[in-house]
Amino acid sequence: MEVFNEFTPTFLVAIKIAIWLFLILYILFAGVVLKQVRVMIETLEVGFERPIRIIAVFHFIISVAVFILALIIL
Amino acid sequence: MKMPDVFNFRHGVQNKDLNSTKSEKTIKRPNGTERHNLPGHSHNPFAAYSYFPDHLKFINADPEEEIILLLRKHPITNIPWISMAFVMIITPAIVSVLSPFSLLPPGFQIILTLLWYLITTAFVLEKFLSWFFHVNIITDERIIEVDFINLIYREITDANIDQIQDVTVIVGGAARTFFRYGNVVIQTAAEVPKIEFEAIPNPDSVARILRDMRIEEEQEKLEGRVR
Repeated sequence: MEVFNEFTPTFLVAIKIAIWLFLILYILFAGVVLKQVRVMIETLEVGFERPIRIIAVFHFIISVAVFILALIIL
Repeated sequence: MKMPDVFNFRHGVQNKDLNSTKSEKTIKRPNGTERHNLPGHSHNPFAAYSYFPDHLKFINADPEEEIILLLRKHPITNIPWISMAFVMIITPAIVSVLSPFSLLPPGFQIILTLLWYLITTAFVLEKFLSWFFHVNIITDERIIEVDFINLIYREITDANIDQIQDVTVIVGGAARTFFRYGNVVIQTAAEVPKIEFEAIPNPDSVARILRDMRIEEEQEKLEGRVR
């Protein structure tokens, strides 16, 4: 059996593009979460709205940060 | 036949003879801070069972409507996804030593690991929000089910108390019996014929409260006090 010891440059470029596309989709998803949390909080208030909103915003910021990091590193 | 008082008082709920309680409510309404001492009352925003909850507001609530019970799935039902999240959290530590991943350039390894943790965060957020915002509410006028099936789909069902036709409690299985949670299936004469409170704690108490609410509603009808 052939020993697999390195990835070809073409394969790495394909992975890079796939990661970027995935991260763009993830940012959209994080945006949907942000919007949906707002809708959920409007629908129901139980006294824990602020932390949930902060988590959703933080999640969105992190997803954008990872995308920027991917653009820089890869 | 009048039942002894010991059978009539439970969970702050009092059953009294219909004829002798013309102006009294079947479920005793707490005044001010009285609610804090009621059994089942909770200040925990994650509580799965909260009798006369403090800060609950929901969409389309009537100003005069009083919330009697807030219910959500028993916390124990979260164990499967929490276990799954734990496995997802430790996965990169295991995968990083495997050959194909370790052969990738360091930059790719970092980004792929971050990507994995983003997916894990999405999974945890989706599961937590679905649990937290999937609630059942019993007010003095109606029952409401707020269900966020996933992040982009929500369903709000309600039925008036006087439209309730039948209440069934289903508790099956070892875990449900041990942790005292189960389903309460409510058949209604409303547009939605069935509302199901899934995996809620103390289903028997909930069924009892619903029965008392129906008695109270009938009493109000007889006295012409229906809103």
